[in-house]
Amino acid sequence: MPKKECLAMLLAGGQGSRLGCLTRNIAKPALSFGGKYRIIDFSLSNCANSNIDTVGVLTQYKPFSLNSYIGIGTAWDLDSAFGGVHILPPYVREEGGSWYKGTANAIYQNMEFISIYNPDYVFILSGDHIYKMNYSAILKFHQEKKAEATIAVIQVPWEEASRFGILQVDETGRILEFAEKPGLPRSNLASMGIYVFDWPVLRQALIEDEANPGSDNDFGKDVIPMLLRQGKRLFAYRFQGYWKDVGTIESYYQANMELLEDNPPFNIFDADFRIYSNEDAFPPHYVGPKAKVKKSLVSNGCTLLGKVVNSVLAPGVFVGAGAMVEDSILLSNAKIHKASWVRRAIVGENAEIMENCAVGINTGGDPRQAGITVIEDNSVLPAGSLVEEGEKAPRTFCVTG
Amino acid sequence: MNRAIGLIFCNYLSDSLQGIARDRPVGAVPFGGRYRLLDFVLSSMVNSGLRTVGLVTPHHYRPIVDHLGAGKEWFLDRKAGGLFLLPGSNHVLAGKNIKFSLKDLQVNVEFLEKDYAEHVILSGCNQVFNINFQKALEFQNNKEADATLLYKVVTPDAPASPGGLWLEACGEGRAKKIFQEGFEDFNPAPKRPKKPGKRFLDMLIIRRKLLMEIIAGCVDETADLVEAIGENLKSLKVYAYPHPGYWARIDSVYSYFRHNLELLDPKIRNELFMGRDRIHTKIKDNPPARYGSGAMVKNCLIASGCYIEGRVEKSIIFREVQIDKGAQIKNAVVMQRCTIGKDVVLENVILDKFVQIKDHTVLKGTRNYPVVLNKRSVV
Repeated sequence: MPKKECLAMLLAGGQGSRLGCLTRNIAKPALSFGGKYRIIDFSLSNCANSNIDTVGVLTQYKPFSLNSYIGIGTAWDLDSAFGGVHILPPYVREEGGSWYKGTANAIYQNMEFISIYNPDYVFILSGDHIYKMNYSAILKFHQEKKAEATIAVIQVPWEEASRFGILQVDETGRILEFAEKPGLPRSNLASMGIYVFDWPVLRQALIEDEANPGSDNDFGKDVIPMLLRQGKRLFAYRFQGYWKDVGTIESYYQANMELLEDNPPFNIFDADFRIYSNEDAFPPHYVGPKAKVKKSLVSNGCTLLGKVVNSVLAPGVFVGAGAMVEDSILLSNAKIHKASWVRRAIVGENAEIMENCAVGINTGGDPRQAGITVIEDNSVLPAGSLVEEGEKAPRTFCVTG
Repeated sequence: MNRAIGLIFCNYLSDSLQGIARDRPVGAVPFGGRYRLLDFVLSSMVNSGLRTVGLVTPHHYRPIVDHLGAGKEWFLDRKAGGLFLLPGSNHVLAGKNIKFSLKDLQVNVEFLEKDYAEHVILSGCNQVFNINFQKALEFQNNKEADATLLYKVVTPDAPASPGGLWLEACGEGRAKKIFQEGFEDFNPAPKRPKKPGKRFLDMLIIRRKLLMEIIAGCVDETADLVEAIGENLKSLKVYAYPHPGYWARIDSVYSYFRHNLELLDPKIRNELFMGRDRIHTKIKDNPPARYGSGAMVKNCLIASGCYIEGRVEKSIIFREVQIDKGAQIKNAVVMQRCTIGKDVVLENVILDKFVQIKDHTVLKGTRNYPVVLNKRSVV
């Protein structure tokens, strides 16, 4: 196999447990976003747009839909004869085998795979972030600084800093200190979970980390602090632009809704940096004679006969006559039948809301307590159901049909 | 599975489509928001299990090759079989009405020789349909037919199809006669059946070996395959096979306009696009269509990547079209990447790709004679 300059390892095994029933049947990277996309599209498209043609995708949690969605990477032009996409699940060896214990352990278990390509640099990427980034810029930075490892960082609001891995850097960008989710953050530079390593450095670090029984085998928690203790040259690459880890139902909802703003902070309309996705063959969407569609994103294959306002619609969605969808996210092939109302809700893939239902309706509770209602994938809500978003209801809750 | 290969005559030219087919072969004419006419026949063949398809190309085949590439979207980029581009002969002398030129087949006979398939499915490319050919192939096998011609029963009030072919068949389907509808340039009453007739769909199945024999025996530069079959109906076992579903032929600006808008009918749209067999096309990876707060869209097909701020009614809007505030569009076919300025009024128009309509312009055609603006026009 010819040697590669760069190889990307894409961590896509996470459950995203804080997304509740949205990820009950699929891994978080396979979750729909922005209408026609799935979250992993962004990282894979970044690779494609950065000329990284060899990508290992590490899967573990409920990988079926993710595996079939990625296939051999054709949709992202990553089906290459020399390289391409490799799906890497945990596997059994002569002396047993184990699940991926942490992010570092997942890469450790696949060191043989990386060795096949013997790259100069290894990118460690996360499959569940929403961002557009040309990885050649961070690679150039890495080379110029003669770094052994580079971490992409982004400035976050101070009040949120304690949710992230926070870095202290000197004026050259060299990392002095790394604190995972610090109680009292000393900076607001957060790690984006994107790393570039010199392959020999990464290899050595993974072996040492694995040998340490006290380690959780996590990049942020264990490997990076260990390399800093060893005095390695670690640099922080400052990323300017939109980056989001949609870890919770609220942030997922918010990030989708932001796309509907007049000047959305995240531009999916950029023809020069396309986000590729593996789409089904659908015709253009149809808007009926009595429909009303405003401030929304609508994907192919939708049939809209009712009212849709301020919502994001994935491919194949149906909104029946007299139905009303407001401030909501409808995932692939969701069906809202005649005269049903859906407000501030996320309706899962293939879910069906039969006639005359009301979902996410607030009948007098405090509007500031308004929660997001989630209808689980494949569930059917019987005709006439009322799913109220009451005062005492949890901020988000799932409805299974 | 019946082993068959496909052969599409993509070298139809037309001057009845005005500017729409001026710089492109009819097969490459955009249709239905995101497709080209060629997609319908190609997808039908692929969905019928065909994995080898030859495409007879016209002299200006750039739009065809641009659209098809290696045939990936139709699953035709393959080791065994795949997509074959067959350069058509440059028959300057040929009459306009030749559909399946034997000369074109003669220069590409190697495509037929090197395959082992029992049958060849031939089709033109100016039609809109979604047919699974498996049943027709079974019919051809069961009847041990030499050729099977596909037809659709058409009522006398259907629009004329000058130069189109009609079939006559006996009870169990054996074809008795093939005849041509007259041209009606100055004569409003074309020669055609007075009662429901069998209109030939420019699609036929023929035994590969027989096709090669006919090609080898052809000396006339302008001979047509269907003509050759028609002359030998007595000696060959030729059958007629009905297609009950939707079918439309695009042979004039009017039919182009009408059949595009016909897609707004959910019955037709579902039959064409939402069944098990999908129509495949080149993927552009556009974002979803975006509606602004002023958007008012009624009874329309809207493709991906559009940005809509104005009012649109009874129209087909292709990919990446921008419609500005205050614009009012009705009965329109707007192709890819057109930009419609503020307060523009459009009614009964066809805008080819990249047309720019500047602010406050008013353009109105009539239902039977829509205004056609050529590619890249600026108004």
